[in-house]
Amino acid sequence: MNTTKLLRFSKVMYWLFLFCGLLGTSFWRPLQAQTTTISGTVRDKEGQPLSNASVAVKNGGPATTTDQNGQFSLTLSTQNPVLVISFTGYLPTEIPVRGSNNLELILQRDDKSLDQVVVIGYGTVKKSSVTAAISKIENKQLDQLPAGRAETALAGRMAGVNVSSTRARPGEAPVIRVRGASSLDAGNDPLVVIDGFPGSSLDNVNMNDVESIEVLKDASAAAIYGSRGSGGVIIVTTKKGKTGKPQLSFNSYAGVSIPRVHHDWISSDEYYNYVVKYLNREYVWAGGDPSIPVWGDPRRPANYQVNPVIKERNVNWQNEVLHTAPIQNYNLAVAGGTDNAKYYVSGTYRNEQGTLINTWYKSYSVRANVDFKISPVVNAGFMINPNYNRRRTSSFSIEALAKYPPFVAVRNPDGTYPKARDYWGAVVTGGINPLGLLYANQNYSNVFNNIGEIYVGLNLMKGLKFRSSVGANITYSNIDNYQAAYGNIARQPTGSAADYKNILLLNENVLSYDRNFGNHHITAIVGQSTQTAESRYVNMGIVAGSYSNNVIQTLNNAVISPTLTSTTKSNWGLLSYFGRINYDYKEKYLLAASLRRDGSSRFAPDNKWGLFPAASAAWNLSKEDFLIDNKNISHLKLRVSYGKTGNFNIPDFGYLGSISNVYYSPNNTLTTGQAQTNFGNQQLGWEENNSYDLGIELGLLNNRINFVFDYYNKKTSGLLYQEAIPATTGFSSSLRNTGVVSNKGIELELNTKNMVGRFGWQTSFNLTVNRNKVVSLGGASERINTDAYGMGWILRVGEPMFSYYGYKKIGVLQDADDVANSAILAGSLPGNTKYLDVNKDGSINASDRVILGNFQPKMLLGMVNDFTWKSFDLSIIMQSSIGAKLYNFENQYYQGALAGAMRRSLVETQWWSTTDPGDGQTPGAALSKLTWQANNDFYIEDASFLAVRNINLGYNLPNRLTDRVKIKNLRVYTSMTNVLILTKKGFHGYNPEGYSYGEINGLNSKPGYNSGSEPIGRTFVLGVNVNF
Amino acid sequence: MQTRIFFITGSLLLLAGVTGCKKVIERVPDSVLTTAQYFKNAKDIDLAVIGVYSSYQSRKQTDYMLLELPTDNLYRSNYTLAAGADDMDNLSITPSNPLLSTFWSASYAGIARANAVLSNIDNPGDYKTGQKEQFTGEAKFMRALFYFDLVRLFGGVPAVTSQLSIDEAKNLPRASEEEIYTLIINDLKEAAGLLPDKASIAKGRASNGAAAALLAKVYVYRKDWPNAKTYLDQVNGMGYGLLPSFANIWKLDNEDNNEMVFVMKYVEGTNGQTLSSAYLPFGGIAGIATSGNESAFPSWDLLKLYDENDSRKAATIESYYQAPTPANAPLAWLPHVSKYQVKHVINSSGLDLPVIRYADLVLLMAEVQYGLQHPDLAVAEINKIRERAFGSSDHNYTVADISTDADFTDKLLLERRLELAYENERWFDLVRTNRLLTDLSVEERSYNIATETAQTVALAPKANYSLLPVPQTQIDIYPTDVLTQNPGY
Repeated sequence: MNTTKLLRFSKVMYWLFLFCGLLGTSFWRPLQAQTTTISGTVRDKEGQPLSNASVAVKNGGPATTTDQNGQFSLTLSTQNPVLVISFTGYLPTEIPVRGSNNLELILQRDDKSLDQVVVIGYGTVKKSSVTAAISKIENKQLDQLPAGRAETALAGRMAGVNVSSTRARPGEAPVIRVRGASSLDAGNDPLVVIDGFPGSSLDNVNMNDVESIEVLKDASAAAIYGSRGSGGVIIVTTKKGKTGKPQLSFNSYAGVSIPRVHHDWISSDEYYNYVVKYLNREYVWAGGDPSIPVWGDPRRPANYQVNPVIKERNVNWQNEVLHTAPIQNYNLAVAGGTDNAKYYVSGTYRNEQGTLINTWYKSYSVRANVDFKISPVVNAGFMINPNYNRRRTSSFSIEALAKYPPFVAVRNPDGTYPKARDYWGAVVTGGINPLGLLYANQNYSNVFNNIGEIYVGLNLMKGLKFRSSVGANITYSNIDNYQAAYGNIARQPTGSAADYKNILLLNENVLSYDRNFGNHHITAIVGQSTQTAESRYVNMGIVAGSYSNNVIQTLNNAVISPTLTSTTKSNWGLLSYFGRINYDYKEKYLLAASLRRDGSSRFAPDNKWGLFPAASAAWNLSKEDFLIDNKNISHLKLRVSYGKTGNFNIPDFGYLGSISNVYYSPNNTLTTGQAQTNFGNQQLGWEENNSYDLGIELGLLNNRINFVFDYYNKKTSGLLYQEAIPATTGFSSSLRNTGVVSNKGIELELNTKNMVGRFGWQTSFNLTVNRNKVVSLGGASERINTDAYGMGWILRVGEPMFSYYGYKKIGVLQDADDVANSAILAGSLPGNTKYLDVNKDGSINASDRVILGNFQPKMLLGMVNDFTWKSFDLSIIMQSSIGAKLYNFENQYYQGALAGAMRRSLVETQWWSTTDPGDGQTPGAALSKLTWQANNDFYIEDASFLAVRNINLGYNLPNRLTDRVKIKNLRVYTSMTNVLILTKKGFHGYNPEGYSYGEINGLNSKPGYNSGSEPIGRTFVLGVNVNF
Repeated sequence: MQTRIFFITGSLLLLAGVTGCKKVIERVPDSVLTTAQYFKNAKDIDLAVIGVYSSYQSRKQTDYMLLELPTDNLYRSNYTLAAGADDMDNLSITPSNPLLSTFWSASYAGIARANAVLSNIDNPGDYKTGQKEQFTGEAKFMRALFYFDLVRLFGGVPAVTSQLSIDEAKNLPRASEEEIYTLIINDLKEAAGLLPDKASIAKGRASNGAAAALLAKVYVYRKDWPNAKTYLDQVNGMGYGLLPSFANIWKLDNEDNNEMVFVMKYVEGTNGQTLSSAYLPFGGIAGIATSGNESAFPSWDLLKLYDENDSRKAATIESYYQAPTPANAPLAWLPHVSKYQVKHVINSSGLDLPVIRYADLVLLMAEVQYGLQHPDLAVAEINKIRERAFGSSDHNYTVADISTDADFTDKLLLERRLELAYENERWFDLVRTNRLLTDLSVEERSYNIATETAQTVALAPKANYSLLPVPQTQIDIYPTDVLTQNPGY
């Protein structure tokens, strides 16, 4: 095969280089002296000197590092020594020294990903020595993916890490789940650690500054973060300066985002006919005679008539409120340094306009990472990352806008916004013109955030280091909402404001030790961390209708409402002690163990402290004698791990029985009263997550094929949630530790270098299967939360969390006979849903409800293909999700209610009358019968999809061109996101990942409930990277 | 050198760890008042009593979904958003109906607040004269009011008179109906003795008149006519009376009128009620509000009963509706409840809602007199209401009209229905007179004014509906068989 030839060729070249290097030095015959001084230069393949490379004599002789010119000198007594040269990112090379001066040593870049360094909490470890399940992704082209939010770039890249954008709004954070959701009330978001600062937010990450992102997936790795590791840990490492001349780089892209919309809106004529059909059906249901003329006949009540005015116009509101929106990103960075001082400084401006008009996200950020080497013993540095994000959001989901009746003009000639009831006073929606809404509602949020940290490091003795750091994460945000009078039905301006301040302080002190004792290698850390947070909220509301005029939007133009205005403060503290030891014998047998003790202010006095142990072991079979020379198997490792993590994401003083303000108005005077509003729980303690992981890593054919497989079993017990308690206590729930949820799954990552050489092709593929299951609810066997329209979300032992729970639709009641002869819900009429009588008692009632699916995907697949040819490179990211079900309640808005806009696929097959019964499976969808449509699986749709998330095509300009303009290298690229999204037939949402009623956040969660998640933007940009 | 640095940093590390320890994790909330710091002085108790009223005030606004929607007074519109409203409207009553658990929980939350007042009443030492008595009376009155609602809907319920732990609560079974009524009567008697008269207490807080009136009503439900009469007579001497005009009862500028024995007070904008908006047509009405919630419509069943000369008709239900837009919109037939229709900001109306109205007491007195074998006096009481309604005695009844018990009940229920429509009396009246099965089997809902036909809906009331089911969500929390279900569910 061609590829193996190429591989062999590169191997030959490698040895040739090494041979030449040796040859060059072998003419020098050393003097047979007691001590020798040898010197030389270490360079890379391109001839660039490598500074800070380690040069040591094998078997414990003297060692040194190269200077900024890559030069070194060593005094040694050994004869014919063998030098070991190592440098991060390069293959360690052993060279027998014959000469003593001007050695020219060339290091080969290490293309084998196995010798990457992986960042783990409070340290790093060689990828080949990792004993836990950790995914790493380096920022090669992540920052070229056009998206307002950095995390979006991670979608589809890592097994076990699901990044889904449930709302496509500018600046919206995607939902990240590492190995499934396990907590009911305490959140499932992973802990974010930026450059060692835990408790950061990905809000503050600018992808241009990112060096790499690691995800600690299993608890043995995450346990070093103890009480916060339950949802996994995302470690972001930003770029650091390197020794050398200052390098200036400029990265930018600009382009447009085009919304991915529905195309099946019905035409003008059809619209009138369907409104007639809809109201006739309602009229028949109300006992009327549909043969009475639809307009102008007094025998037909006004609310069943159809005003012919609706024929006059056919506005497509979806297209009116959406537009092609520009997106742009500019980043300028300078990096460089000397041996004693290194710096990385960058500034970024990003502007993402929403495809929904009047929505945007703008971000301004600066980062400086500076490191000093003060003496061989002392080093110090700081990082600072101020950023300012501004957003304008819409308080309306797409459904509230796209459903607007098409007969309403976009604008009146005088510029005002007409509404449906200006044309027709009955039947139609009383809502406001969608464009009016988008202009009248001015919701702005501004967030200023800075993470800053300063550290001092000491090299105490050989292998022993101490690092102490003090950091602060400061967030100031404010929200200003204003709604002009024309933007609401009350026709009065309204507004509110909120300010928020949060100051998070962190002090960490860590001793670390790293030493080889012969074949034994030990690294260890022991540390202590103190983290405190203080927050302050100011909320201000106005007395309804008190704005003096439409001119001034701030609240000084209104009367402040006493019940809506308050300042509150809160605080928390976390005190931690932790330690970890990693041991390996010849890199063959690897052991790691860690222990963290966390004390949190959030728990009741007797339960403040939690202990979080972890242990893992790995056997690197490929280092064993029987495999070391195996040509096919280049890497084989077995891993096993256990760890315990916790979750402390609960309210600050949730264990206290608290008294709050309540209101009453004796003598018509608003009076503040007080009442206990939180039951309190003096036993409140940690939610604990015990997790096991088994892993196999296999590298074949010199690691051209890399395979990582993991099985995990994660059991979360003592779930923190608002457990229902008898109402006779005066309270409906109390935050307690009850119940168990398990997540089991497998993960597979496969990386292959399909072709190397002039034409390069690499593929990385990942697969995730997670099975979520409620194991216990602390006594109760199930909890059902039923929505206003009858759909339920159930927690049932043995089933995935929050499965849909309702009736099973088996068809449509065709006529009066069918109604009379079927098991029906009380009040059913022809055209309503026919349900499955599960218990066969002849009627439909609560005991006929069954589980109807779940919002969580059954399987996730991701694939990244990278191609290179000459100076071109092409990267294609694909992602697929299988088996998730969404409750697309949004559909009902496009089925004719209130004479709204209709979609052909949602009206064509409906039951309209006994003579126009549709496909027999689609009930008559009417507002008056909403419960009959919504309390069953009619709106539950398979949200499986296959998406080409990104295509990135780049070209590096040849040096002969760039050299003329003093540019080191110049790359131009085009990037396209969401190029293709294939969904299942019968899926009606704008976004297969989209649901609008939020995530799991307590017993009353309704995950998967979609009522208007926005259209996904298909983004096309042109970009450039320039390095000077 | 190196060892010294090692020791210095080591001891620093230890120091940092040890000194920070307690402060870091033992924290005091800045903005959360805790139970341990509360109920210390008279003002705390006063605010806690306000808290008891607050819970009734917020529950009150949606009581109609349990008490009017299932009756022949009201039916659900297409806009009703509340889960379970549909089932109540169609008399498909199941223990899983969320409206039941909401009502149950809200009532017990109010009881717990009253209990908290009572168990801490002795803490403060700074009461002004009469304060302690007043607060005790108010808490007992409100506790009785909550229990009266519970016992009428569910029968015997757990009797809670102190603050319970979760375990205590889980092992507290239902008391008998008798026990609950005893609790109510004792509380009310005590409250009637402790509370000041209406002139000496803020409007909207309970007076001794309110306590006596409620006690009388409780005795009527117990068919204890002599006791009921005693307390009705007592109230009659306290300055309450019927206003000359029925329509004037429901005016913002005429709140706290003599007909209101006990009301829930609301203030527009900041502490308003949603009921005014709930009944308002979706398009709003010029001069009332720019938009309504149109949650429910009046049933033709009720509307058709109003005589054209009955002044209560227009003040209870408005038959025609003119949309504010487009300009010159035609007047359309759209009957809607107008009893609480005052100018208001949507969902925050300032109109007070009566809990006990004097007209109710007059009709209760009619029952009492009839029960005491004085049909002439009973007719006189009903006629007081009719004379006010019609502005003349032309529509008065005579003793001959109530010659049988059934006739009397017919006339009484009709009058109660016309007078107290949408004041949450209908369901209780049907239950206590055993009219549930007969009166609710068919409901005439909408009415076509052009064809003069009503849309009739057949309902299937069941005998066991006289007690609503105990919410399943509550039963599930208890150990098996502690919180038992009512029969037939």
